[in-house]
Amino acid sequence: MDWRQYAGRCRNGAGEASVTTRAEQTPSPGIDGFALTYTAQGICKSFSGVRVLADVNVDFKAGEVHTLLGENGAGKSTLLKIMAGVYSHDAGELRLNGELLHGLSPRDAQRHGVYLVPQEPRLMPDLSVAENVYLGALPRGGLRFNVGWRSMADHARELLSAVGLHVSPHSLAGDLSLAQQQLVECARALAHGCKVVFFDESTSPLTAYDADRLFQLMNQLRGEGLALGFISHRLDEVEAISDRITVLRDGRVVGEAERGAITRAEMTRLMVGRELAITARAAHEKVAPAKPVLDVQHLASPPQVKDMTVQVRAGEIVGFAGLVGSGRTEFAESVFGLRAFTGSITIDGRTSARPTPRKSIDRGLVYLAEDRGRNGVFAEVDLSRNVTASTIRRLPRKMRVLLGLSEERSIARDALQSTRVKAATMASPIKTLSGGNQQRALFARWILAHPKVAILDEPTRGVDVGAKEGIYEIIEQLAKEGVGVLVISSEMEELIRLCDRVYVAYEGRITGELLGDDISLESMGRLAVGAT
Amino acid sequence: MVSQGRLASRNIWRRRELLLVVAMAAIVVASTLAHPYFWSSRNISFILADSMVVTFLALGETFVMLARGIDLSVAPILGLSAVIVGFRAQDHGLGLVPAVFLGAAVGIVLGVGNALLVSIVGLPPIIATLGTLSVYGGLQFVVTGGRQVDHVPTTYTNVGTRDFFKGVPYVLLIGLAAVVITAGVLRHTPFGRSVYAVGDDVEAAYRAGIPVRRTLFLSYVVCGFFAGLAGVVYLMRTGSAVATTGTDTNSNLLAIAAALIGGTALTGGRGGAFGGLLGAVFLSLTLTAMVFARIQPVWQPAGVGVLILLAVVFDRRTRRGAVTRWRRKAQTQS
Amino acid sequence: MTSIAVDTRRRPAVWGTALAVAIAAELVYFTLTTRHFAEHGHGMLVLTEQFMPTGVLALGAALVILTGNIDLSSGAVASLSAIIVGTQLHDGASIASAIVVAVVVATGVGALNGAVISLLHIDSLLVTLATQFIAGSVATSIGGENPPYNFSRIFLRLGTGTVAGLPIALLIFLVLAAATALLVTRTVFGRSLVLIGYSRSAADYSGISATRVLMGVFTLSGFAAGVSGVLLAAFYNAARADSGTTLLLPAITMVVLGGVDIFGGRGRVGEVVLAVFLLGFLTQGLLIEGYSSLTATMVTGLLLIAALVLKVWLSRAPGQSLSRAMQNALRRRLRLAGPS
Repeated sequence: MDWRQYAGRCRNGAGEASVTTRAEQTPSPGIDGFALTYTAQGICKSFSGVRVLADVNVDFKAGEVHTLLGENGAGKSTLLKIMAGVYSHDAGELRLNGELLHGLSPRDAQRHGVYLVPQEPRLMPDLSVAENVYLGALPRGGLRFNVGWRSMADHARELLSAVGLHVSPHSLAGDLSLAQQQLVECARALAHGCKVVFFDESTSPLTAYDADRLFQLMNQLRGEGLALGFISHRLDEVEAISDRITVLRDGRVVGEAERGAITRAEMTRLMVGRELAITARAAHEKVAPAKPVLDVQHLASPPQVKDMTVQVRAGEIVGFAGLVGSGRTEFAESVFGLRAFTGSITIDGRTSARPTPRKSIDRGLVYLAEDRGRNGVFAEVDLSRNVTASTIRRLPRKMRVLLGLSEERSIARDALQSTRVKAATMASPIKTLSGGNQQRALFARWILAHPKVAILDEPTRGVDVGAKEGIYEIIEQLAKEGVGVLVISSEMEELIRLCDRVYVAYEGRITGELLGDDISLESMGRLAVGAT
Repeated sequence: MVSQGRLASRNIWRRRELLLVVAMAAIVVASTLAHPYFWSSRNISFILADSMVVTFLALGETFVMLARGIDLSVAPILGLSAVIVGFRAQDHGLGLVPAVFLGAAVGIVLGVGNALLVSIVGLPPIIATLGTLSVYGGLQFVVTGGRQVDHVPTTYTNVGTRDFFKGVPYVLLIGLAAVVITAGVLRHTPFGRSVYAVGDDVEAAYRAGIPVRRTLFLSYVVCGFFAGLAGVVYLMRTGSAVATTGTDTNSNLLAIAAALIGGTALTGGRGGAFGGLLGAVFLSLTLTAMVFARIQPVWQPAGVGVLILLAVVFDRRTRRGAVTRWRRKAQTQS
Repeated sequence: MTSIAVDTRRRPAVWGTALAVAIAAELVYFTLTTRHFAEHGHGMLVLTEQFMPTGVLALGAALVILTGNIDLSSGAVASLSAIIVGTQLHDGASIASAIVVAVVVATGVGALNGAVISLLHIDSLLVTLATQFIAGSVATSIGGENPPYNFSRIFLRLGTGTVAGLPIALLIFLVLAAATALLVTRTVFGRSLVLIGYSRSAADYSGISATRVLMGVFTLSGFAAGVSGVLLAAFYNAARADSGTTLLLPAITMVVLGGVDIFGGRGRVGEVVLAVFLLGFLTQGLLIEGYSSLTATMVTGLLLIAALVLKVWLSRAPGQSLSRAMQNALRRRLRLAGPS
């Protein structure tokens, strides 16, 4: 319990808000049974028209690890971010020990003792580890207005060893590994004297060894009476660490259970809302292998991509599995021409030496980006211009210069209807559509480019579970028309459902290629962590 | 155990400081060879004293640039402070100490105007301060009302023009004190650290619980404060102030150039107070050397413009190296 | 399956209507209060000659701001162009060749800006801040002690002549404005620049070459500054090295007042044209009423800020408070995560 003492001293030294001070005066929850609870009631949240959370109730108690379970896009992460003050909520209330929290910012949340350890740590690379730990509440030195560097370093050293990180507090955050940075985030939670700590998929970028270390830390913190929240979709992890499990689907709570009261199969069924549809793959297994439309040899784009050789044939759906940080997206961006690389790329028999996105599209390669909000849609722009954005130069023109706007609209509408986008009018900004419809509109954009090969990066991210099947149908339709498709996905069920063949990558290298019936959760999972 | 909170980019920084010192030495040597008078205590004193107005402006600009902003209105803030203080001094014999407070107060008030627009209303700093540039410039004309400041008490000009020691003018000492205090604020106070953090990665700063809005607000107020002080220093240096003071000497350009040359990046998060001082002295030295080299004064703004471009191009190269280093480390060691 | 309506209706031009109403109100006001303002409509038309150089500059600035960038050098480049055309005329060059040389040089400076910005990926603010002063120095140097004045009558017609009762400068501006409007709405280049303004990264991922487009945009801004400089020289019958510099602020104000989003993307050239007339008549009206040019500048600055604040206020979602809207504006500017 050393760290709490240090945290308290720093905090008092900093003359911080009274709320936390009061909380600290109350007896430590783990010891005499004082029940700290942080509850969310009736939380609703929409992002630009897309309903993410609908009337969610959940609570976190001292001395317990409470896991939120759900597929991508189920709303787990959004919920925790709301509870940690990163996002605001549209409706509902947050109560900490019965006290209503209004207009929470991350700063307020920390003052109330709530901290969120993000999925990917976000430290200031140029600052020391110690300063990163205390960022936002730097302890004061002897002059009251200055930063107490010395005491800060000393306290930080204690905190770092409390979380099991043995680096000098003076070393630069930028020099740490991802896992070490994750632990710095944990130390920050302790430095701020937090009683409620959330872990937002904190294990997903970590190797099994580092993840185990994180679990040890979580167990230790639970023993010290903290309330922990955890997000994951790895069921084995969830079973191992959780005291309580809440399952979310489509922004709603669909089930809650104590540890041991629910089987993995039940969890899966609750998460997905249906039995896994693995049988559907048989439908396109018979496609006769044709010539490769994409042939990438020994691609390297340091530091993320070290050596990747990938081939995609016409009419084939090829999967690309791997953990976050395995270099899949960077591979795709290199092939598309957004990053410098070495190695050779051949699209439909033509080698492209220094591709740019523009050249790639002209040669028949399109890339559906992972981050739809940033790199996909023009949120404020109407549907029609969004759909034609990649093919402006191919639009019909009057007098060879002026774009025919009405022709453009009808071309865009035909494309949108071929991917079954539901929208009232072409004039509405694309941000008013649901996630699934936005994704369909982006498919329409790429179909207009008449691709020979399509790289789809997380094609169902941020799409409602019910709408995923529709995206799969579009992908299958593309393949049926002879397009070679490469699907990058973190959802292994999705790859099983879709693919004829799957590449698995680990730390910038292809560790395996799976065919037909060999494509399974186990085989992909093994290759994805570098085991053979 | 003193500089534990130091900036990591200090290596880059040192390189920048070294390069500047070498460049300055080269200019001094070349100019002295051509004109022995260049290396005289009078001329050196003049160069140092002359850089102090820009130093104060650059100190303020450093705060907003570190926080990833820009202030294009420091010129008329300087001007307003100079004419307001100047008239009080000329007409009512305002003492030196109250003059400093008055100048600072004028700067703070005008800085609050910018701060409101940028950090409360949420306007982009370029456009907002371009707007206040003309509003404050207009106010300066209103305040002067056709008159001008031309005979302030000699206590002012004594500080501005006399040497404390051969080649070391009084204003230089004042400027150095300001630089040291500012460096301390930036390095050793929570506010200073927040300024760096907000400029470095505003998202991470927000999530770490740093009051982003308050930090931005204060950085513009501080910028105004220093521009106000620069007005008083200007008065000490020249003993005069007119309706176009500040704007007519391209003070905005010089302030931004000094900060940039001293290694403060427009992309935020890197740089510091000493950089502003070095940049200002470098500018003053270069411009004086241009005069000695018989280059017509019309080319001075162009010279400053070229220096800005060089500083930025050079900065980009060092920065890119730093970024790759960070990404590589984060990815490969996991 | 339901079909998607191909809606040819445009967004209601609330901002444009407001600008038009404001212009009408200000014309009526000045006509009633100032004797020499209207003169049966003729006076108003002649007044437009005063602010056509600014208007042309605003067209270039609009293109740059639509991409989310800024060109601080355009005023100084206009001065440079004015000086070049003046000295060329004095050196005996023909009017046509003098104009061509001036406009080509200005366009070249614009292209240089574009090259540095897009190839070296340097912030446009810094680059154009630097070139602003470089261009200023060059202009002052070329102009020398006695800047050229007193040009031939034919050349002056560009600035103050009329065709069928309409000022030639006004006609030039309207033609350029129409061309700019077509460029933005109806060409591949214009579509690309607008999409870059809405989202640079989405444009990159869509295969739109931002390098080419930014080069083009800054080149066009240089061209506009060149034309503006020629008009300046012709209007004042003199070329001064600082004549264009003072036009920068009003030009940017016209663009912002014309509803162009300073973050890029949204904006209509037509509304910028309305804003040119609104601010132009306002400035001229104030000057005729006896206010100093500094008052006019102050009013311009206030209008710039007021227009921006008004836009933040108008951008509120229904039922949203002003402080919330301001918070969102700040978040958006800082690109903080969270609801847009």
